[in-house]
Amino acid sequence: MGDETASVSKGIFVFKPKKKPQHTILDELFSENRWYQTYISLWTRLNQDFEDLTESMFTSMTSDLLNFVKTSHQNDVTEIPTAALLTGINMPDHDAQFASLKRQVKEDVSPYVAFLSSQDCGNVKSLMEIMISQFIGLSDDREEYEDDLVKNTLKKSSLNMSLLESWYQQTENELLVVIIPDFESFNAKVLQSFILIISSHLGKLPFVFIFGIATCISTLHTSFPYHVTMKINVHVFKCEPSIVYLNQVLEGIFLDIFCPFHLGGKVLDLFTEIFLFYDFSVQNFVQNIKFAMMEHFSHGNAMALCLMEKTAIKNVLADFNHEDCENVRHLLSFRNFVESEPYEQRIKLITDDEYFKQAVYDKVVAIQRYIKRLHVFLRCLHALVYDLPGSPLGKNLRELYTLALTKSITQSAEYRESFQLLEFQSKDALQEKLRRIADILAQFVNKGSSKTKLRDFCVEIDRLVRILQNTDVEESEKDEISLEEGLGAMVDRKALKQALFSRSKQKSKTQDKYEKLKQEILAYLSGQFEEYLVHPSTLPFYEIFFFDDISIKNHIIGIHRAAIHNALNDPHRYLQCKCCAISNKRTVKALMPDICIAYKLHLEWGKMINLYDWLMGFLCIVDPQEEDDLSDKSKKVVDPHVQARFTQAVAELEYLGFIKSSKRKTDHVIRLTWEG
Amino acid sequence: MDALSKSFPGREPQIAQLLAYFRAAPYPPAVYIRGGPSSGKCAIVSGLLGALRIRHALVDLVECYSSKVLFELVLNQLSGHRVDPAVGAPFAACDHLMDFVGQLGRIEDVDGSVVVLRHAEELRKLEANVLAGFLGLRQLTRVRVSVVLLSEVAFEKYYHKLNLSEPLKVHFPQYSMEQLLHILQLDFPHAEQLSAVQVDREFHRSYLSVFLPVFYRACRDLSELRHMSRKHFAQYCQPVLDQQLRAQDSLALWKRIAPIFNAATSVLYLRVSSKHPGQGLELPFYSKYLLIAAYLASYNSSTDDKRLFMKFHGKKRKTRHDIERKNKPSAHLNTQIGPKAFTLDRLLAIFYSILEDKVGFNNHLLIQVSSLVQLQLLSLASDECSLDERKYKCNVNFETIQTIARMVGFNVRKFLTDFSHM
Repeated sequence: MGDETASVSKGIFVFKPKKKPQHTILDELFSENRWYQTYISLWTRLNQDFEDLTESMFTSMTSDLLNFVKTSHQNDVTEIPTAALLTGINMPDHDAQFASLKRQVKEDVSPYVAFLSSQDCGNVKSLMEIMISQFIGLSDDREEYEDDLVKNTLKKSSLNMSLLESWYQQTENELLVVIIPDFESFNAKVLQSFILIISSHLGKLPFVFIFGIATCISTLHTSFPYHVTMKINVHVFKCEPSIVYLNQVLEGIFLDIFCPFHLGGKVLDLFTEIFLFYDFSVQNFVQNIKFAMMEHFSHGNAMALCLMEKTAIKNVLADFNHEDCENVRHLLSFRNFVESEPYEQRIKLITDDEYFKQAVYDKVVAIQRYIKRLHVFLRCLHALVYDLPGSPLGKNLRELYTLALTKSITQSAEYRESFQLLEFQSKDALQEKLRRIADILAQFVNKGSSKTKLRDFCVEIDRLVRILQNTDVEESEKDEISLEEGLGAMVDRKALKQALFSRSKQKSKTQDKYEKLKQEILAYLSGQFEEYLVHPSTLPFYEIFFFDDISIKNHIIGIHRAAIHNALNDPHRYLQCKCCAISNKRTVKALMPDICIAYKLHLEWGKMINLYDWLMGFLCIVDPQEEDDLSDKSKKVVDPHVQARFTQAVAELEYLGFIKSSKRKTDHVIRLTWEG
Repeated sequence: MDALSKSFPGREPQIAQLLAYFRAAPYPPAVYIRGGPSSGKCAIVSGLLGALRIRHALVDLVECYSSKVLFELVLNQLSGHRVDPAVGAPFAACDHLMDFVGQLGRIEDVDGSVVVLRHAEELRKLEANVLAGFLGLRQLTRVRVSVVLLSEVAFEKYYHKLNLSEPLKVHFPQYSMEQLLHILQLDFPHAEQLSAVQVDREFHRSYLSVFLPVFYRACRDLSELRHMSRKHFAQYCQPVLDQQLRAQDSLALWKRIAPIFNAATSVLYLRVSSKHPGQGLELPFYSKYLLIAAYLASYNSSTDDKRLFMKFHGKKRKTRHDIERKNKPSAHLNTQIGPKAFTLDRLLAIFYSILEDKVGFNNHLLIQVSSLVQLQLLSLASDECSLDERKYKCNVNFETIQTIARMVGFNVRKFLTDFSHM
């Protein structure tokens, strides 16, 4: 006991935890491991990128909003200026967004910001108290806030508008900003009276509201009566749709040339499905990726090689000991690699660590090169196909990426269809596409570097663009000529006909020329794509960079009903005991827990279950000898121990919600769940 | 006093009546003033008391979420007490009516002061003795204070089991169109500021005589009318500013502004300016289906579920049903009556039957249901504390559900008993 708690009377003392730099359990457990170091540095970087991107995405909207707030009280106002922020329903993403908004308002507009969340504001009284306490500079934190109350000798009940008014007269007449992030969750009645109160003080206190609305603006109208809506002057601000946000996050961070960790097609598909079908939340999406990363890296030190710099790979390999090498040898693709080598090398690969390290280095560098090309060519392909009618390959880069990592994209039907469609493209469209590709290549290709294949590709594209342009010029020249000819021969019908005929012929000639060129271009592009957009599994050690273990689905999407069913139907799965192991799902064993026996029996009944029949079934399994006695049809006495066990099992099933007692038939229970 | 009458045209009799009450002491113990929103009650009373130099406290009851706040506000104002923000103490802490009565007598020179309470109908929400206490304040305190209650409802709505002493009553009737026109003309200085061209009173008057008949049909609220007239005046002046029309050409000006007025009557009382019109509701795919399922569960009776959602249902049942339905008048249609509550099980059963691709039952789906509740698209119809047998209602109307259904390519009408029989 320290001095702080020395007290005459007995009492409970509250100790607040002192804030330390946070070390998670993971840090303590794994900080020694090399794979964990790689993981944590990569994750920190990606997370930082994610936060930066999020901030920059909302800047334009936020700056509009801040401007509105700043200028809202320049003229005399009769209604409360209100910014309605349509945020979309992606709830988990909002917190960070509003926190940064609050910070920016504090920095740029006014130090007086109140942040009200629906949990704390169940009635008008608590709403006013919390708002006023935040304005007059008491802490946001609940516990500290109680402390401050004591320090300032302010009573909680004295926090009312008259206090706020007299406090405001002492300040520098800044705006009072109230942020309500979750408008829908608020009690509409409470908000109504809040708005009325504030509007009656608007002359003296310059209030501005910011409402976060998740659904649509009409919610604002349906939740308030006329005499309230006329008190607020609403300006609507809109965030980007969450799907745009997702695409930007994916393209800017995770499908980037600098990110060594790659999600496989199936896993990325799963994550996008969760996003589109369930929650629209980018925050959750990123957390899912984090989970996949942890799963990936925890395979072992082999994953420490998941890096994009050559020198770093060299350093990591230099530190590898025999066990680490073994870890790498356990990768599945190593087997194929070994088998493809001649006999002598095989032995060396398996036994000689130094030789093995050199081989790993070569292969990993090859993968790095592959990854760079993969991204560049995917982006080129995207530029080529994103706006095709019907978009067989999808409109977004992430769809292309998913396809390319699920199977060999150039062999797919969608790819063939896209190239067929490309053959119908007009010259302008094709030229535009080629120019886009040239732009993309210009971003990635280092002009100063020595000749690489990428550079050759870049040069070739530039050449093709130029040729295309030239055919353009030729054709337009001929066009003019033919037009003049046509005009000159206008006098005579026959001549005109001839002129038109020759003109169409000429045109078809240039057309032919263009067709030929187009064929050439497309064939060239397709050849390039076929060379570089191969499926990663063809490369040895690809597992280090690509994670495609769909079994994480069970961790990402929880299925509690199925889990309970499995536990009760097949207890061996969770208990891992010898006694409960069953080969057939329908088998019932006497050694199983009572509740499992009762559960398995109840699956055989229909909607109503007769308790006596159920008990008899239970008896048959628990105490099989009794069955022989039953054959003489005499009513037997049930062992009270067994009956008690049965009753308990039934009660447990009722507690779990599988059955409920029925009022209509007293000796029956109703079944509540159905399979399938 | 003339100035007061001048700034409130059409209120001369009421002002005279109030003047009779408050011209000289002793003032009446309680006065009850009734009138619609923005009919000048508060402005006239505070103007009058100010002009007569009568000490008064003006408290809006909307602000008083507890009687404590009300008592302390009245005492603070009457005593001229200023709240020190560092201490926060009121003139005196009053937890209930007796404290208030006691403290009121302690204020110096409190004789002859007046307590004005706006939105007095809110008094009924406070403790039962507060209203009676204020009406009989003089007897309780033995100090000559008067109480003026301002309200929008008739005094008869206050009767309850307590015997209330009847106050004097003053009624502020609704303004007539002529009176409104007169009052809105007082807004001329503001209009002069607004318009970029030089306007005279006659021009403003002709604008109002065009403006008022359109809006008078939909709205009698003076402050709303004033807001609207200010909002549209600049638009009215625009053709003059562009020198397309002359200021005297009122008929042509009316032709220009009439469609704008008609559009504006539908957004009365709503002050929304948006750069992004037509913003629809964005929902994840399964949420859309859950919402559709909720709508179907709310607007179909559960006895029809089998027939609607199962492939092989008895035919006999259907024909009998058919006849019943045909006789049903349209007022009894399910979609016209309003949502009925349904259980979570039923929601999920319908959800799985209308969803074409089969998805496992998982926790993400359950979370969707609660987030729909949080978004107020569904509402919880059962007790919030009980966890099993939860019941919900669908809060979405038919138009919205149709647009959502169209987005996922689903025909709602086919699955609504109201439509599938007609």
